[in-house]
Amino acid sequence: MSDSATATGSGLSASTGQGPVYRVIGPRVRRNRSPLGRWYRRNERAILGITGLVSFFALWQVGSMVGWIDPFFFSSPVDIVAAAVAEVQVPRFWDDVRYSVTEVTVGFIAALVLAVPLGLAIGWYRRVSFTFDPWLNFFNAVPRPALIPLVVLWVGLGIEMKMVIVFLGGFFSILLPTVEGVRTVEPQILDVSRSFRASNRRLFTSVIFPATVPFIATGVRLALGRLLIGVVIAELYAQTQGLGVLIGKAADSLQSDRMMFGILLFTLMGVITTEAAGRIERRMQRWRPSLNVAEEGN
Amino acid sequence: MAATATRSTGLGDPGRLGPVQRFRRANERLLYGTLGFVLVIVLWELAADLGLYRRSLLSSPSFIWNAAARDFGSGTIWPHLASSGAEYGLGFAAALALGIPLGLLIGMFRRVDHVVSLLLFGIYSTPKAAIAPLIILVAGIGLESKAIFVFLLAFFSVIVSTMAGVHAVAERHRDLARSFGASRWLEFRSVVLPTTVPFLLTGIRIASGRALVGVVVAEELAANQGIGYYIEFYGTFLDTSRVMLGVVILGLFGITSGELVRRLEKRFEVWRPEIH
Amino acid sequence: MDTGFALIARGVHMEYRDRKSDTSLVAIESMDLDVRAGEFVSLLGPSGCGKSTFLKIVNGLLKGTAGEIRLRAAGNGREDAMVFQDAALFPWYSVLDNVAYGLVCAGVPRKQARERAMPLIELVGLAGFADRYPYQLSGGMQQRANLARALAVDSEILLMDEPFASLDAQTREVMQAELLRIWNAAKKTVVFVTHQIDEAIYLSDRVVVMSARPGRILADIRIDLPRPRALDVKRRAEFTGYADQIWKLLTTHGVSVAAPTDAT
Repeated sequence: MSDSATATGSGLSASTGQGPVYRVIGPRVRRNRSPLGRWYRRNERAILGITGLVSFFALWQVGSMVGWIDPFFFSSPVDIVAAAVAEVQVPRFWDDVRYSVTEVTVGFIAALVLAVPLGLAIGWYRRVSFTFDPWLNFFNAVPRPALIPLVVLWVGLGIEMKMVIVFLGGFFSILLPTVEGVRTVEPQILDVSRSFRASNRRLFTSVIFPATVPFIATGVRLALGRLLIGVVIAELYAQTQGLGVLIGKAADSLQSDRMMFGILLFTLMGVITTEAAGRIERRMQRWRPSLNVAEEGN
Repeated sequence: MAATATRSTGLGDPGRLGPVQRFRRANERLLYGTLGFVLVIVLWELAADLGLYRRSLLSSPSFIWNAAARDFGSGTIWPHLASSGAEYGLGFAAALALGIPLGLLIGMFRRVDHVVSLLLFGIYSTPKAAIAPLIILVAGIGLESKAIFVFLLAFFSVIVSTMAGVHAVAERHRDLARSFGASRWLEFRSVVLPTTVPFLLTGIRIASGRALVGVVVAEELAANQGIGYYIEFYGTFLDTSRVMLGVVILGLFGITSGELVRRLEKRFEVWRPEIH
Repeated sequence: MDTGFALIARGVHMEYRDRKSDTSLVAIESMDLDVRAGEFVSLLGPSGCGKSTFLKIVNGLLKGTAGEIRLRAAGNGREDAMVFQDAALFPWYSVLDNVAYGLVCAGVPRKQARERAMPLIELVGLAGFADRYPYQLSGGMQQRANLARALAVDSEILLMDEPFASLDAQTREVMQAELLRIWNAAKKTVVFVTHQIDEAIYLSDRVVVMSARPGRILADIRIDLPRPRALDVKRRAEFTGYADQIWKLLTTHGVSVAAPTDAT
């Protein structure tokens, strides 16, 4: 493809003597590139991206040493690494990790196991979905932190509360796209099946369910994001155990290096889940629906 | 061939319905929706009245209504609403004002885009709630810290979706602009900007949900006003009715704002480049 | 009518190099082409033979690897305007604004651009649809708007890249006849790219037949059918004669193309 900055070699030129004036379009002029230049061009995106990331941390470090950034609040990359090293050697840290991981796993699996069948059922029976639509939309719209005090009233501040919060986020994230998936199944596909007198059950297994899988995959992706948020908000609120507590307690005792370590841990988890979820979703989408499946950020 | 036996599979395929059926279908939606709504309310109230569960767990519609009447009537709830509203409004407006232009700018310049993208992705994937304690530490417990928090939540959604919009510009639309000799500025106005609109609206819808979460989280952690605070405060007093009232208010707000943006999104759906 | 040359191409060569495997792909192999002002010339060949590539080089969307193209300089504005295969109308503009777009790009103020666009909308048969939006138009109508947009710029040369490829058979025939009518009224030079033999013969003064990749010119055939041409000219003996000639030419060079009579 053509470079952006090359000599174009075009211009006006009159033919010999009198006669019409022509505009000349010339060929592309290629610059000879050194091997380094070529390597750069091929990997430009990655190179620039990594440069950006590295500069960010470098500036942060320099800034905290020079005083642009107050290290009291923001710590510095070097200190954070030191705190991290210290932290992972403390057994309590790993207890917290186990705690948080358990919440997420249980909450997610429960959400998946409940939301998919329920979603398929609700989507399948049109009238049922109409009936429940208002309430589903309502609970989906309520920000989950608002439900925490309620959940605490029911189950206290222990791990169950967190599981419930995590579950709620995952549940709706998977349920709604699944319902929409069932309702969106292409009419033509249904026609083909029906014209062959397929029984309802066959219709379901060979047409509806496979067609819904991409929607479920989207739901799972959304769920993974919301799960993480659920973990943080539930743990910050309860302040009993878990990685969120690491952040909260560190903040309380003004240990910004430990706090930032906690934050960066969540960043890492967030990046991994977003990337993994995105990949899973892409692999499961053989065709992309033209509808924009509801993206929620609760 | 057997006579047309309309077997109701329960699935809607509105594309093949006649006008009468479509009318009926739309009305069905309304009918069953209202039915479902009313049914739950009624059953809920009955269950409470019959003592099937402790009121302190879930309250009941009548009690919630009373709480609403009391607190709206006496005006005690308004300061909370105003406070939350201000945090939400300020943060969100700032996110739009900064996020849209920045997103457009970054999207237009490929190299800048590459430098910044990984960073943005990282911050976008971080559950912002994890940063809440930091914000409170830095900015205190007043309006500013909440607004800043809301801003952060909404900002990244807006900027990421704006950039996605710029990236989504169809190559053939660009070719078209260049083919007719459009200047870079004109290309921006006539191709990039309109393409970005549907993506931007989606981003705004997501951002509005996240911003609401931000308001509540920040208020629960450290505040003395606001709906989030309201819920938490009355939670500690086991005043479930007021807690539920707060939940209902937030839910209603969430639905309305979401629905508003969704309408806008639908209207501009035609502008998406892949639909043609 | 001006019988000077509107387009002179010499040695146009297009080569793509794959950096990784260090191989090169020749899309166009040293092509020469002369087009007189007011002529209707078709570039005919199988898919991938570089004919669209050539058009894009003329239009400036691509840069050739070698060779030179001369376009007769226009006094103001561009010398050429392209009609794309995919109508690519902007979904956010009305038909009127879409047709006026080329003018706006050239710096004409919007109001005047719209005024100048209106008669063209009528010329292509879209009168009354000026306020509609692309999604409300059928494929054929979108292509008419596409054509109007290119005409509005009033450039000497019209480059048309398989504009009827996405239309169904009947619409396609109608559009071919319409194109000739409009061309007659607008008196432009047209370079028309297609892979349909019948279409090329029906429309053109000359058919330039290209081989498969690497694309080079196999033959430059004058079509001596009288104008104006009605659609039934396709069933005349001379027409079939040309079709057979081209068909033989292509198949001898190992090109599989749809046989002429069923290519509509």
